[in-house]
Amino acid sequence: MSTEPRPPRIMVLSCPELSDPGRETARRHERMVDAVTEFCPHVEVVEPGVCAFGARGPARYFGGETALAARIIAALADLGVQARAGVADGLFAALLAARCHDGRGAGPVKLIPPGQTARFLAAHPVTALAAGGPGAGGLAASGLGPGGLGELAGLLKRLGLGTLGDFAALPARDVASRFGDTGERAHRLAQGLDSRPLAARPPPADLSVAQRFDPPEPRAEPVVFAARALAGRLHEGLSARGLTCVRVQVTAAWADGRQSSRLWRHDGLLSATAVADRVRWQLDAWRPAPQGGDDENTQGGIALLRLAPDQVIRAAGPQLALWGETVVSDRVARAAMRVQAMLGHEAVLRPVLGGGRNVTDQVTPVPFGEKEEPRLPADPPWPGRVPGAVPGLVFPAARAAEVTDHDGRVVTVSGRCAVSAAPVRLAVRGDPPRRVTGWAGPWPLAERWWDPAAARRRARFQLATDDGRAWLAVVQDGRWLVEAGYW
Amino acid sequence: MTAGQPRSFATSAAPGQGTGTGTEPTPGLAATLPVLPALRGLLPRGALARGSVVAVAEFGLLCLALAAAASADGAWCGIAGIPEAGVLAAAAFGLDAGRTLLVPEPGPSWPQVVASLLDGCELVLLRPPAPAPGQVRRRLEATLRRGRGVLVVAGDWPGAQLRLRVVSQRWTGLGDGHGRLRACRAEVTADGRGEAAMTRASWLWLPAEDGGVATVGPPDLPAGRPGTGPALRAVSAG
Repeated sequence: MSTEPRPPRIMVLSCPELSDPGRETARRHERMVDAVTEFCPHVEVVEPGVCAFGARGPARYFGGETALAARIIAALADLGVQARAGVADGLFAALLAARCHDGRGAGPVKLIPPGQTARFLAAHPVTALAAGGPGAGGLAASGLGPGGLGELAGLLKRLGLGTLGDFAALPARDVASRFGDTGERAHRLAQGLDSRPLAARPPPADLSVAQRFDPPEPRAEPVVFAARALAGRLHEGLSARGLTCVRVQVTAAWADGRQSSRLWRHDGLLSATAVADRVRWQLDAWRPAPQGGDDENTQGGIALLRLAPDQVIRAAGPQLALWGETVVSDRVARAAMRVQAMLGHEAVLRPVLGGGRNVTDQVTPVPFGEKEEPRLPADPPWPGRVPGAVPGLVFPAARAAEVTDHDGRVVTVSGRCAVSAAPVRLAVRGDPPRRVTGWAGPWPLAERWWDPAAARRRARFQLATDDGRAWLAVVQDGRWLVEAGYW
Repeated sequence: MTAGQPRSFATSAAPGQGTGTGTEPTPGLAATLPVLPALRGLLPRGALARGSVVAVAEFGLLCLALAAAASADGAWCGIAGIPEAGVLAAAAFGLDAGRTLLVPEPGPSWPQVVASLLDGCELVLLRPPAPAPGQVRRRLEATLRRGRGVLVVAGDWPGAQLRLRVVSQRWTGLGDGHGRLRACRAEVTADGRGEAAMTRASWLWLPAEDGGVATVGPPDLPAGRPGTGPALRAVSAG
């Protein structure tokens, strides 16, 4: 059956630590794939933490498969990712090669010489095919769903076929008639043939568009006009490939070398005019304040404008309720983005209510346009909250204070939450001291006591003062802080 | 001045309604933003007139309470220059956090920031980082009238149509080493220009024990306060 003229040489890189799908891992994973793409543009991600590519060309360029693998592993190590490589004729064997020396402390590269793949495979137990075992995901990606493979492997074992070699030795025709389609493809794999050719991901073509202004353009209007045409080209380039982008990066460079670069939410929803609007806001924001005199000459005008798509994704139709549950009207979005253009992405926030034991934890500010998720979920009960009213002022940074007793000594709280004396005077730094007319507490809170780095013990008090206000005061590490004000 | 300004986006069906310049007594739905029931007595129309500036002497629960009903009613609310704004307390008043934009540090170009916010939000709560020169104030007021929003300023704003102030307040529920803050009784006064010229005063639970805002009933009023009676009568008449 081996009709393939020359089996492909496949290199598989396996990073077991990245196999966990999570947001942080996803980001590292993306970086890993990018790093591998530096060596070989056509990379297929087989499963999280595992990618494969045809090794023949790059190996020739980098001086051999071992040298290539070593360079990639070194590059990944720079990213803090430990990787192993396997090279063989065919994806399945390469996957097994990348994994088979997992526990043995051998070098990070396993090379199966050309033509030796069938022999390498023959020694593996048939369970290598099984779902749940090593390579299950790889098999799923290589055209064999994990479903049925476990059964097949079990069946083969009961039939006395212990290794892939035994299985591969069966005549293909008999395998097909006895085990059906799944069996036939598993048989091809066991022989070291791929069930399908590698579907490489095309190189991420540079879809960014740019325009140079020579001589540099001192006025914003022509630049915005050019931006509209550029955005049109950007959209054409993306849609021709059936792609869209989550964000678009607008970079403007001035003749004097300064640069302004901002990411704008796009989500495939912005028209060319809307992109041009964002360019205008960005340029407006960079114009010096009116009282600063005319800086047009010192700025020297704009020399380059570049629009680059960020996070290119497959265009799957417009999304609804883009901003979360509340639909943001265009008017609000425009206003918010204009302020973002002036002050930066992080300057316009939307409060998201969540959970937590401290007043500062319960509201998470999220930059406008980003996904809204509270730091701490609101759902679980949060015992240990300070009871009673909710403060109208929550100081972003707690204010230093001093709480003293009748004799002018600082009030202290012992490890058993005994208060040394009734607080009589509250002096918040920057304010004149106030007389305390009522107090309650302490409400102790030991947070993250299991983590020495993040652990903190605090005792919280509510203090009412003679001016009619009330304060949320905290003793932490023997110091008094005021976290919130009730008025 | 009212005749020539039928606004294309005035959605109310009421014909010939005022344009909300702050001087016409004609109330109209589209000309105002709602406020919490307990605050109605303090405002000349029982609501916030669009296009007007309301100055509150200092930032606090009163500012948040003023914004709450409009936000609950569907308006977007911007909060600029107040990094310590307690969104949780405001949410207890009824503010919809999902329709709130925070610009904690508007910086030196705050007038532009506020003007931009007013384009998108019907109510902007502002504490100017620096005293506003007259020219800046007038320009913002013009933007305000065009966009028909309401600017609630925490601090001084000489041209404000309405000025609110918490004259006194006292928390209940706190003992000497026991209890917890339950509710705060606050005396709030309002005065201003034009129709708001008469000083109004009101005793409010700010906040009430349930986290909202309520009028203080006669049994809870502090005894022996001169002027309490007449002030309350003015509220019920307005």
